[in-house]
Amino acid sequence: MAGYAFKRVLVGVFSVFVLASAAFFLTRLMPGSPFETGNSLPLVQAEIEREYGLDKPLPEQYLQYLSNLLHGDLGISYKKPGVAVVDVISRAFPVTCKIGGLAVLCSLAAGTALGIWQAVTKKAAVYNGILFVTILGSGVLNFVWGSLFVWLFGVKWKLLPVVGADVWQGFLLPVATMAIYPTCVVTRLTRNGFKREMGEDYVVLARAKGLGKTRVLGVHVFKNACLPVLRYMGPAAAFLLTGSFVVESIFTIPGLGREFVNSIANRDYTLILGLTVFMGTIVIGLNLLTDLLCAWLSPATRAGMTGAGK
Amino acid sequence: MKVKVFRRMSGVMSLWFVIVVLCAGCGRAGETRQGERGMASGAGGPGQSAAKSTEREIVVATSSESGGLDPAGNIALTYLAYSATALDELLTYDGDGTIDYRAAASYEVNGDYTMWTFHLREDARWSDGSAVCADDFVNTMTRALRPESGSGYVNYLFPIQNAEAIYQGGAEMESLGVETPDPHTLVFHLERPCVYFLDLLRLPVYMPSCTKYAKAAGGSWDKNPETSMSNGPFFLAKYVPEQYFVLEKNPYYWNADAVWLEKITFRFFDSQEAMAVAYESGAVDVACGVQSVMAKVYEGEADLMITDAIATRYIYPNLDVEPLGDVRVRKALSLAVNREELCEMAGAEAEATGHFIAKYMVDRATGNYYVEEMPKFFAQSEDVAAAVPEENGPGKAASFEENMDTARRLLAEAGYPGGEGFPKLVYKYPSLELDADVAQILQEQWKKNLGIDVELQAQELQVNYSERKAGRFDLCRMNWTADFADPYTYLSMLLSNSPYNCSGICDARYDALVRQSEGETDVKKRAELICQAERLAVEEKCYVIPLFSVRNVNLVRPGIEGITQVPATGALELRHARWE
Repeated sequence: MAGYAFKRVLVGVFSVFVLASAAFFLTRLMPGSPFETGNSLPLVQAEIEREYGLDKPLPEQYLQYLSNLLHGDLGISYKKPGVAVVDVISRAFPVTCKIGGLAVLCSLAAGTALGIWQAVTKKAAVYNGILFVTILGSGVLNFVWGSLFVWLFGVKWKLLPVVGADVWQGFLLPVATMAIYPTCVVTRLTRNGFKREMGEDYVVLARAKGLGKTRVLGVHVFKNACLPVLRYMGPAAAFLLTGSFVVESIFTIPGLGREFVNSIANRDYTLILGLTVFMGTIVIGLNLLTDLLCAWLSPATRAGMTGAGK
Repeated sequence: MKVKVFRRMSGVMSLWFVIVVLCAGCGRAGETRQGERGMASGAGGPGQSAAKSTEREIVVATSSESGGLDPAGNIALTYLAYSATALDELLTYDGDGTIDYRAAASYEVNGDYTMWTFHLREDARWSDGSAVCADDFVNTMTRALRPESGSGYVNYLFPIQNAEAIYQGGAEMESLGVETPDPHTLVFHLERPCVYFLDLLRLPVYMPSCTKYAKAAGGSWDKNPETSMSNGPFFLAKYVPEQYFVLEKNPYYWNADAVWLEKITFRFFDSQEAMAVAYESGAVDVACGVQSVMAKVYEGEADLMITDAIATRYIYPNLDVEPLGDVRVRKALSLAVNREELCEMAGAEAEATGHFIAKYMVDRATGNYYVEEMPKFFAQSEDVAAAVPEENGPGKAASFEENMDTARRLLAEAGYPGGEGFPKLVYKYPSLELDADVAQILQEQWKKNLGIDVELQAQELQVNYSERKAGRFDLCRMNWTADFADPYTYLSMLLSNSPYNCSGICDARYDALVRQSEGETDVKKRAELICQAERLAVEEKCYVIPLFSVRNVNLVRPGIEGITQVPATGALELRHARWE
């Protein structure tokens, strides 16, 4: 297990390096300059670019960038005068993290509960009701939900704020919007997992040995049925924690997703790279964590992995 | 089986649900709004309600945070919104063209318009109570002239002696043609006569910055309320990046009695849609620059405030691309555009114009719009027999229906009768909603009226800038918002040696006219030269194909009075705003 973990961590670090390099060259391949605007004078633009070292040869800029990155220096934003990229991240990430984290928790809690309920219920109405809700939830895109919530709760009923995240009520709608899709997926995975596991011999055996239904379901079945959920939740959490541009734009939330998309539109090279590396590390890290957890929970997976590696 | 059927039904039901919800959203918007009117202000969500009319406070929605607040630094829309309300420039012009003295109390100019002397108000104070001095103005200029400042407006200092040389490292900062004989006198020595110098004074680089705090560009003094001083009616009280900033009334302002509001909050919005929703939900009192569809939604209501920007949207035909080098082809393309129809379809943001110089650019000498003074060129040109009805208003070109025959004749003369054999040109435009709509209408009109096919190529805004500047286009959409309110900002772009000239224009006659107008100190003669230059560029040679002038759609809560617009930038000025 330790060897497997070490190998996976190495692969993770290498992935971050590849990502950082690819991001560097891809941003430079984009047409346009951070200092170009509709009205900018070419002479002025060239002077500013020289000042920022953008006139130097690309390999030199790349080496400088890598060396800064190794020292943990992500640089100063080109388009936000005097603001360090680290400051942008440390300001935007907590907001995104709160919303994304709450969405992860909500979808896990609600999805698991609904999934189990659907798996064990004998009432067709409950089963079909949950099925309807999950198909609706996963079939409709989150910007539709977001816009609908804004219109209903903000404009029509005026119950909740729809601008910014200054107060706790401001989190309700964005979290709900972000959580709908993963909740539906978790429900489906949990239900399928439970239904599959409940037919297994060990459940029958455990019940025959006199173990209570709750204990069988809650401990033995739950552990096995949750593996697919865990595998799904890793990447899903990474997605939620790196921010959604659409949801942040609808609710005017100062999060990472908004910063990322705006930085690309603005050609803010340092900010694009800083955010890519940061978000990439989160995604790679969470995937790594999920893989390790799965391997730990399921010896079969671990054996498969190590077996395939040799 | 049962589950399968139900699953399918669920899918259909979901679709139906979405359609119903969307329809409800569209159909009921107007109705809901009516019902909300009474509770609109102060009815926002918990903890973030818009200002109540009983309080001297307004919440304004503005576009997303961009750039800093240092007038010498890298600035964009956020600064423009802030400065219009918070800062005092030396002087400006009010709505009817008379001078509104702000930081300056008076000015003098020598006979050849090369030396401008400004006498500053002696009672002017920064928001920390210290006196505003001439050095504070010089402070902004010298900081902006260092390339590391990242100022995109620095070229507007170049009329000042040695400014350009200093910027490019060819002269010492001390040689800058600005003098401060005493703390309240500011003297500018210019390279050559500049009759529109007063119009430049609204530009950021001519604003003061408090010498005590503003020492370097790129520091963070500008967004820190402790160090960000204002010489105008409001000062920065709070700045929360990416979310909002708060202005409060400057108690030291020399004209504080004329300021009614105590507090203005500007909230940043990424999308125009979110801005409109915030207005509808009551979270903001003023929304600047919402989508043009809101003009239809609020048609006839007191909320709607449409402002005219000094901006023209037009097309550059690339003269180096065949057959656009042929003036007859360019003219045919221009005459075949039905601008009235185009603007009707494009929405409230567009107002037809046949002029290059922005429709709402005012001639200071007469108080009229420049385009009003010009002969309505399309109608009077020999190609067009139809007269322009007077009710078409200033600068509105004649109905172009009648010009289609001429356009077709010109195209045939150029060797493409009925559009036959005409190469497929590509029209490049930024993928913004308005430009995308306009591109499709143009494609359709050219096809219908000339029988030619034009390929559309939507590009990301930054890509479009680069392609245009590099001259990589056949036809390219262009927008020019005047940085200052003088036609020179437009005309100078088409000069042979202008860095903005990206379509291969090289016309000695045009250059001579524009150069002459720049140095002409007789206002009447100057206006004539300007008219001649524009006629040459638009009517005779068709170097540009003007389409429409741009308007901004704003929403202002009924009861708020006194909001005006800075004509050049389109920013709203709230210094005299009040709740009635």
